[in-house]
Order: sequence, then structure tokens, then C-alpha cells
Amino acid sequence: MEQVGIQKKLSFERAFKIAVQGIRIRLGRSMVTVSGVVLGIAFLMSNLTGQLIKQSVTAERELRQTVSLMQAMINSEVGDLAGKHLAVATFGQLTPPEKALLASLTGKCQLGGDAKGAALLLILGDAPQAPAALDQLTAGMTQPVVLDSVSNRQFTGPPPATVRRELFFGARLEQEATELQIKTRQAQFRTRWIVIVSLLVTVIGVSNALLMSVTERFREIGTMKCLGALSSFIRQLFLIESSLIGLAGSIIGALLGAILAIVAYGFTYQFTVVLSALPYGWLAVATVSSIVTGSILSVLAAVYPARFASRMVPASALRSTV
Amino acid sequence: MNANLDQLFQAEGAAKTGGYVIRAVDVRKVYRMGDSETHALRGATLDVKRGEYLSIMGPSGSGKSTFFNMIGGLDKPTAGKVYIDQVDIAQLDPYELAWLRCRKIGYVFQSFNLIQVMSCLENVTLPMAFAGVSDEDARDKALDILERVGLRDRALHKPGEMSGGQQQRVAIARSLANSPDILLADEPTGNLDLKTGEEIIQLFSQLRQELGVTIISATHDLKMLKASDRIVWIEDGQITRVNTPDELHIETAEVH
Repeated sequence: MEQVGIQKKLSFERAFKIAVQGIRIRLGRSMVTVSGVVLGIAFLMSNLTGQLIKQSVTAERELRQTVSLMQAMINSEVGDLAGKHLAVATFGQLTPPEKALLASLTGKCQLGGDAKGAALLLILGDAPQAPAALDQLTAGMTQPVVLDSVSNRQFTGPPPATVRRELFFGARLEQEATELQIKTRQAQFRTRWIVIVSLLVTVIGVSNALLMSVTERFREIGTMKCLGALSSFIRQLFLIESSLIGLAGSIIGALLGAILAIVAYGFTYQFTVVLSALPYGWLAVATVSSIVTGSILSVLAAVYPARFASRMVPASALRSTV
Repeated sequence: MNANLDQLFQAEGAAKTGGYVIRAVDVRKVYRMGDSETHALRGATLDVKRGEYLSIMGPSGSGKSTFFNMIGGLDKPTAGKVYIDQVDIAQLDPYELAWLRCRKIGYVFQSFNLIQVMSCLENVTLPMAFAGVSDEDARDKALDILERVGLRDRALHKPGEMSGGQQQRVAIARSLANSPDILLADEPTGNLDLKTGEEIIQLFSQLRQELGVTIISATHDLKMLKASDRIVWIEDGQITRVNTPDELHIETAEVH
């Protein structure tokens, strides 16, 4: 006759129900833990959103500056645009400023692929090699003047003496661009560190809050063990609790962080500018990744407290002074 | 038919163990804290008969709680053997120990230790859930047991909404959930006033008669001592005396 059996594990559903019940009843206590996650994730999310806003707003501003620079170049070559005919040749992909330039030119003057009778030929696109000769491209122009967007673009055939080739961007501009890139990289590095530190603080905060709730529940855990709970059940209980707390806190934190960042940058720039410049696809990616990060970190923070709780001896429930 | 079989098995078990449901043989327990050693138990031997009502007495620090934990399967001895229903608990792995605690032993605590976030009904069904009883069966049985302790109508109340005596009765109902052989009670009347304490003692006596459970309780309550079959005295980690209440001439009076 079998005298002692093996205690079966409780279903996940059951453990989940008990964990949810615990959170609901201890709502005040749970809220403290949740707020720790909320703060950390709100910080992360506001940083991410801020970065997205700053990037897109400056990118748009740069684009506008570049376009106006290009327009100024064209103006200095042909004067008033009205009634003029500009020829356009494209090699490779159009860059965003080029697209914006073309859009701004349409309607103001005649644009066309044929150089015949054109006052100016614009050579656009990012391809370093153009499979055509400059004199062919400028055939039919009375005064062959070319404005090129790529300084070292190669053309077939020998460089024609009659064609004047000017560049949209000088060397100075390129240098400025690289300096700006270094600065943004440094700023990104700084914010990354701040985010990592804040997330560490969140993990420790949540871990501490859960440890507190373990010590508060010494007797409850001991009692459950006396009633036949396995260590794995106790562990499961705390991990479920922390993942729920993490999920709730992360969702609230992500929303809060995004709203805070939008409001803050709305005052710095303008709300309409911020809202129109915001890349919503990336914002969604940032939100989802913040929520996932928060939930995972909360579960990680619960690993130690859960182990601690599950290893408790049931006898501690018998001691009346805990 | 099943009931008969159970009785047969019980009778068989009783024959094998000579009617002893718990045997403690020269149990020793040493607690180590850094370099210092504390000898909480220095060789305690005790046999508990099936269906017996046993009280354990002893001053605090005597090793009473340690001994209590040993025979309750809550702690393992450093040396010596503890048999619960013939099984040496030192040989059990955590899963088997949990099984044993879940089905063989019911625990009643001085401070009730009900799970505050659960209703009375949920508190009573919890051990059955651990034992793998289906929700419906657990609910029916829990209501039956709550009926037995006179609290069926309070089944959906939370422990915080009830008096100490009622909470202790819920705790007793919970301890009976998986029909244990042994009821282990640690100063069950310690936090109750005299009258409610007496009600609990009566409930214990009634349960022993109706269900035949073995009751072991650590207590200082004279009325509880008077109701028990034997009183075990523990002093300085050893069992010094075993008395029947008659030998002690306990005088208690009604308080109105």
C-alpha cells in the first residue's frame, strides 16, 4: 500500500486567480509597487519620445534649411523663376531635400527633362556615376549651366569646356554635417546611460517592494505551505503578481512618459510642429518596447523575492510573533 | 463499500503501528547560529495513539514548539526518528512532505492564520485545491464542514469581518478539509476569551468523537488540559512527565 503520495502541482489558472485576488485586495500596497514601475518606464518612454521629437523636428528644420539654400542657389543663377524653363536630370534616388525642392518648384516655373531652351539644368539624385556626358545633357541650352547636388559625380566623356558646373553644397556644409552627427551621437550616448541607470533603479525599487510584501506575508506563505502548497506554487504566485504589476505599471508609465514628453517639447517648439513631426510608427515601436522592457524587468526583479518566499519553512506560520 | 474498505485499511494500519499514529523516537534538534549551537531538543520520545487527545505543556524556550513542529512534519530532526503513520518523515522529499501536510495533518494556529484576502469558503477549499479536488466537490465539502462548525451562513465573509472565535472555527474547518488523521493545534485558545475558548474546546471534543481524529495541541489553557487524554510536559528539551488530567486535579469553574 502506497503510504505517501507525490503532491501535484496546482494549475496555472488557479495560481493566476489567487495572485489576482491578492493584488486586488492589497490594492494600496500593490499601487506602491506599480508606481515604482510607472516612474521608471515613464522616464524611459519620455526619453525615447523626446529623442524622436527632437530628431524629427531638427530633421524637418534641416530639410527646410537645405531646400531654401538650394532655392537660393537657383535664384542666384537664373534670377526670378517666373516663366523660366528648368531642365531636370535624375541619377539614382532623390534625397528628401531634392524631393522637397522639386515640389516647391512645381508651379513656379516650367520643369522638364528636355534641356532645350532651359535656363538651367538641375542634376539630382544620389548616384555617384551618371551614365551620360555633360554636353549631351546640356544640348540645346543657350548658356549651358548645371547645378549638381553631388560634388564628386562622374560623367562619361571628357569634361566639356563650355559647360559651367556649379554645386548645390560646398565643402563647408559637409563638414558641418559630420560635426552635427558626432554631437547627436554623444547626446544619444548620454541619454542611453541615464535610461539604463533609471531602469536599474526601477528594478531595485520593484525588487525591494516585492521583498517587503514577502516579509509581510511570511505567515500567509507559511500557512499555505502547511496546507500543502509546493514551493513552486509560492514562486509562481510571486512571479505572476510581479508580471501583472509590471504590465500595468509599464502601460501607465509608457502613456504618461509619451504625454509628458509631447507636452514638454510642445512648449519648447510648438504643439502643431511637434504633433506633425512626430513619427507615429516609431512612437508605437517605442511604446511597445517600453512596455515589454518594464514587464520583463519586473519579473526579473521578482526572481529573488520569489525564491526567498518559496524557500521559507512552513514552521514560521506557527510562530505567532512574526 | 468504500467506507468499509477505508475502515479496513485503518484497522490494518492501526494493527501495524500498534495503534500509534505518531511515534517520536529519541528526537534531537540542534540549531546552529554561526558558531553557537542551541540544543532545542535533547532526545524526546513519545507515542501518540490514534484518536487520542494530547496536550503539550512547557514554558517558552523549553523546546515545545520545536517538538510540535517535528511531530507535525514541519521540521526535520537533527537526530532520531519521527514516524507519522509509520512513515519516517526524514526520508520524504519536499513533494511527499507537502502531500503529507496536505492530507494527513490539519493545522490550527494561535493567531488563526486565515488568508485574509480570501473568503471563509475559499480558505476552506484551498487545501482541497492543493489536494487536486475539483472545484465543485471542494465547495460542497467546504460547506458541509462549515455547517459542522456552525458557520455555513458566513461562508462568503472575509476573515476580517468575523470575531476571533468565528475565525478560529473557520481555521478548524480548514484544517479538516482533507479529512486528516491528525489535528495539530498550537495554542488554539491563546488569542480567545474564556467563553469562545471553551466553545473551541467543545468543538475539538465533538470532532474527535465524530471523526476520530487525533488531536495534539500545545496549550496553557487549563480547560483544554482537562479535556485532553494525556498531558505531556516538556522542559529543557526533554519530556519530563506524562500525566492524565485526573492525576493533576485541575479545577476549573464557569465564568459568567
